[in-house]
Amino acid sequence: MYPGHWDIFMVPKLGMNMLYEWLTNDIISLLIRGFALTIWLSAATSVLSLIVGVFVGIVKINRDPILSRIASVFIEIHRNVPALVLIIFWAFALPSLFPLEIRKALFFDNNFMRQFEILSGLSIPYYALAAGLAITLNTSAYIAELFRAGVGTIHQEHLEASRTLGASKWIQRWQIVIPQGIRAAFPAISTRLIHNMKNTALAAFVSTPEFFHTIQTAITRSFHAVEMLLIASVVYLIISIAFANFLGWIERRLNRFPARSEA
Amino acid sequence: MSAQMSFIIDNLPNLLFGFPGQRPGGLLMSVILAIISVGIGFVLGIFVGASRGSSSRWLQGSSKIFVDIFRGLPLILLIVLVHQVLGGRRFGLDLSPMTAVLISLSLYSGAYQAEIVYSGLKAVPTQIVESARLVGGSAWQVFLKIKLRYALRVMLPAFVGQAISLFKDTSVVLIVAVPDLMTVARSVLGSDVRNLSNWVSLYLFVGLLYFIVAFSFSTLAKRWEQRLQASDLILSLAQS
Repeated sequence: MYPGHWDIFMVPKLGMNMLYEWLTNDIISLLIRGFALTIWLSAATSVLSLIVGVFVGIVKINRDPILSRIASVFIEIHRNVPALVLIIFWAFALPSLFPLEIRKALFFDNNFMRQFEILSGLSIPYYALAAGLAITLNTSAYIAELFRAGVGTIHQEHLEASRTLGASKWIQRWQIVIPQGIRAAFPAISTRLIHNMKNTALAAFVSTPEFFHTIQTAITRSFHAVEMLLIASVVYLIISIAFANFLGWIERRLNRFPARSEA
Repeated sequence: MSAQMSFIIDNLPNLLFGFPGQRPGGLLMSVILAIISVGIGFVLGIFVGASRGSSSRWLQGSSKIFVDIFRGLPLILLIVLVHQVLGGRRFGLDLSPMTAVLISLSLYSGAYQAEIVYSGLKAVPTQIVESARLVGGSAWQVFLKIKLRYALRVMLPAFVGQAISLFKDTSVVLIVAVPDLMTVARSVLGSDVRNLSNWVSLYLFVGLLYFIVAFSFSTLAKRWEQRLQASDLILSLAQS
């Protein structure tokens, strides 16, 4: 035993020093930036993967056999390959396909990346973008499959009725298939979106400074691994519980006007 | 292109079974990790899932907390947490990366399987349970022989999905360098700059390996499920 052995279990006394001298302002602001990036990353990938997933799901239930086959190949590939492999592929492997000059111009040192760097404050924005892309692809494949299952629960009478009233294919899709499919699949989709939030921690592998990565940086700066990891778990638990509540709220709003079942 | 092909062919045994003369690694290690932790997680899941549906407040609450914690944390954080906090100086357990990974993967899959068991047990029709109690089954007998058996049949697809998902999640153990497929791929590349052109082909190949295992397993499971359904149908026809 060494002095201060149990200090993590003690209630901190009030006072400047007691809030742990290793928790310096630098580290706190680092962690806050990482936290913000995690929130941004999970929000952006959630919204994008919903859009892409619904689109792919629509393509898959298409009558055109070639399009539908392409969609199912997309789904199977991105569902059966781990998110980490996808992330490393898009972030690290893909740029190394090109010779140095082209690689620099394409991925790291062009106008778009510079603008994005100023906007986001990331030092190498391509890695964050690639990680976001990979996570989006992974989640959207799952959502496409869930959405397709949700579309299967739509009453055929509803579609037939709209056809009788002269609704075009696009109106049918937009007003019946998409809203009802999303509503039916929403509980499963929200589980997947929480999983998606947890997957953003994998972006730490490609040096995207999101929360888990900043926690690791903070550990190497302060040498307080246990405390930092406990902070990280509390924060992630709060994020996932809050996100679950938020998704539950959306689900209740979607079900405000439940579809009338035939008596 | 042929250089990349030969790079992969040279390293194929390493990727599949790990480096020669060392402990098994590569894809074999990923599969072993997944099987062990799904197995432990299954036992955990049945205990926790059953206690979530129990009438005791205390059991309900604690199992809810268990599920919420281990489903709410990213797996990568859970592994580091077990490795450094539980295995760290404060607790003095000194866990090897392998043990830490097995503990955290089991807890993680246990939490997910507990949720499946819980919803499976809820799906058991009350008439079956009540009639089993009426003919004199004790609470334990009814639980083991009626509820659990019925629920397991319902839960089968969800279990298979969870097992496949856990197999893919084992790629995360790269963070504590347990020699699974991801870690071997990383160390095969090494720090040689000349290997830079091999990144794409290697990670495509690693993705392909994961794909083959996960996809073939899910296809087999689907077929097995269909056969079970068919036998159910035949049984119910024969009995009616």
